[in-house]
Amino acid sequence: MKKIVSLILALVMIFALAACGQSAAPTTTEAPAPAEEPASEAQTAETEPEQPEEPEVDALLVDTCILMEADDAMINNYSLLAVNPEAPFVDADGKPVDDVELNTVGAAALINWLLSEEGQELAANFGYEEYGEYLFYLKDGRPVSTAEIPEATEETRLIRLSTTTSVNDSGLLGYLLPIFEEKYGYEVEVYSAGTGKSIGNAKMGNADLILVHSKSQEEAFVADGFAYVLDGMPGERLTWMYNYFVLCGPSADPAGVKEAPDVKAAFAAIADGKYSFISRGDGSGTHTKELSLWPEELGISAEPESFKDYADWYISANAGMGACLVMAEEMGAYILTDKATFLTFVANDGKIG
Amino acid sequence: MGSSIRKAIELILSADPELLNILATTAKVCLTSSVIALILGVPLGILYGAGRFPGRRVLLVLNRTLMGMPPVVCGLLFYLLFSGVGPFRHLHLLFTVPLMILAQVVLITPIVVGTMETFVADTAPALRETAKGLGFGPGKQFRLLVNECVYPIFSAYLLSFARAIAEVGAVAMVGGAIAWKTNVMTTAIMTYTNRGSFTLGIALGLILLSLSLLVNVVLSLLQRRFSQ
Repeated sequence: MKKIVSLILALVMIFALAACGQSAAPTTTEAPAPAEEPASEAQTAETEPEQPEEPEVDALLVDTCILMEADDAMINNYSLLAVNPEAPFVDADGKPVDDVELNTVGAAALINWLLSEEGQELAANFGYEEYGEYLFYLKDGRPVSTAEIPEATEETRLIRLSTTTSVNDSGLLGYLLPIFEEKYGYEVEVYSAGTGKSIGNAKMGNADLILVHSKSQEEAFVADGFAYVLDGMPGERLTWMYNYFVLCGPSADPAGVKEAPDVKAAFAAIADGKYSFISRGDGSGTHTKELSLWPEELGISAEPESFKDYADWYISANAGMGACLVMAEEMGAYILTDKATFLTFVANDGKIG
Repeated sequence: MGSSIRKAIELILSADPELLNILATTAKVCLTSSVIALILGVPLGILYGAGRFPGRRVLLVLNRTLMGMPPVVCGLLFYLLFSGVGPFRHLHLLFTVPLMILAQVVLITPIVVGTMETFVADTAPALRETAKGLGFGPGKQFRLLVNECVYPIFSAYLLSFARAIAEVGAVAMVGGAIAWKTNVMTTAIMTYTNRGSFTLGIALGLILLSLSLLVNVVLSLLQRRFSQ
């Protein structure tokens, strides 16, 4: 019996792989369309018994919606920082390391391009076609670069960028970087994690520049000597674009967040009524912002001890933004999120398996 | 689950270039590391199992300890060693495929050694008697032993391959899950889960399981043929 089952499964897999090879080869010609169609038709035929489920899945639209945005307290600033080759790097034992190799030329080239007129315009227009809204805005008084950008050489070709998940998951980097790479011949490796981990990675000498969104953590990075001022730039922290954090929740809005005069009042209303709230709880930029918005007398901080009395409604998820959004959707809970990730989530229909 | 299975099949049929890249990287990392582990582990396992030398017991205990090493600890160790501030920083290996392979070799070689040792320790004494009776020299004895070991060699390989393809801790730490470069199936599943795309994560998981099944079926057939 076992033998038969495994043989059948193997055959299915071989069939699938063969089909994969077939459709993979002629992608450049016009031929694959008719070749692929019978396969997908066969597929729908096979899954026919599950058809009744189909409309339900389609009807499962995201109920979670944006209830409050564009409040000044919810501005989400993004900054670029070039890692200083002379920084006081230390190894795992705390011993100083003075010959960390960084691609300073490449890092400067990428920063100068992102801050050039071309780079800024591309970032500002990103997402409008797909979502009908701008996802990132340019900051007033932002640094603008007119510096000449050198072509990549063998030594400077590889640039290591350590960044936060929101700029990567929203698709901004996937949109910008290929244009830069094509034009100047560089190759940018993106290491994407929460702001805390991204900065940690740079402090270990594994990044040439960082793109993050947590003012306090950036300032600590500068104060420790890990960043430096590029030629012609006003400072170490180059804050050039922003968007808004948005407060989301169930469309019925039981806490009446929509009517609240400002975001702090909205958070107070959620806490008053003990409505479920999902916190990232992972030391990310979003988590840091959320902690600053609760009424002070609640005393909510990053320490688990500080919210143990609110455990019936304050849920510290310790997970990525997307996973938390799915959780909020499932529980009909309130949540603070960056707008770009939320729009991507809605575009995905917020479906789960 | 139904929609995940559909999604998995759609994904394969669409021949998405990123998916193909992830599959190719996964195959490169797991196949290379498991073959290297086999080449290192089989002779070592036979030596531990059949050999009689001082310190053998200590080595065995060490090996069994390494068999239980958590992948993430192995990954962290290599991350620190090859980091920009680590002792091997001049090799520029962090976040590259060769370092992922190296970390996996360290992780799975003990499994090959352990499996081989268990089998050889069991069969070697009887075999030695027979070989002595037939008047074989040490060289011929060794060849006879290897001949007897074909079945467990396949089992050891399958175990180490399974560990290599399933683990996420080590490859995530030393590879950094960089798109188009070091992203493998397990790290891609982690990324999708963090983004909330659970369906896509499950779909990738199903593809991973099917690939593992395929390798197992092929090797099991070979195992039966060669060990007869």
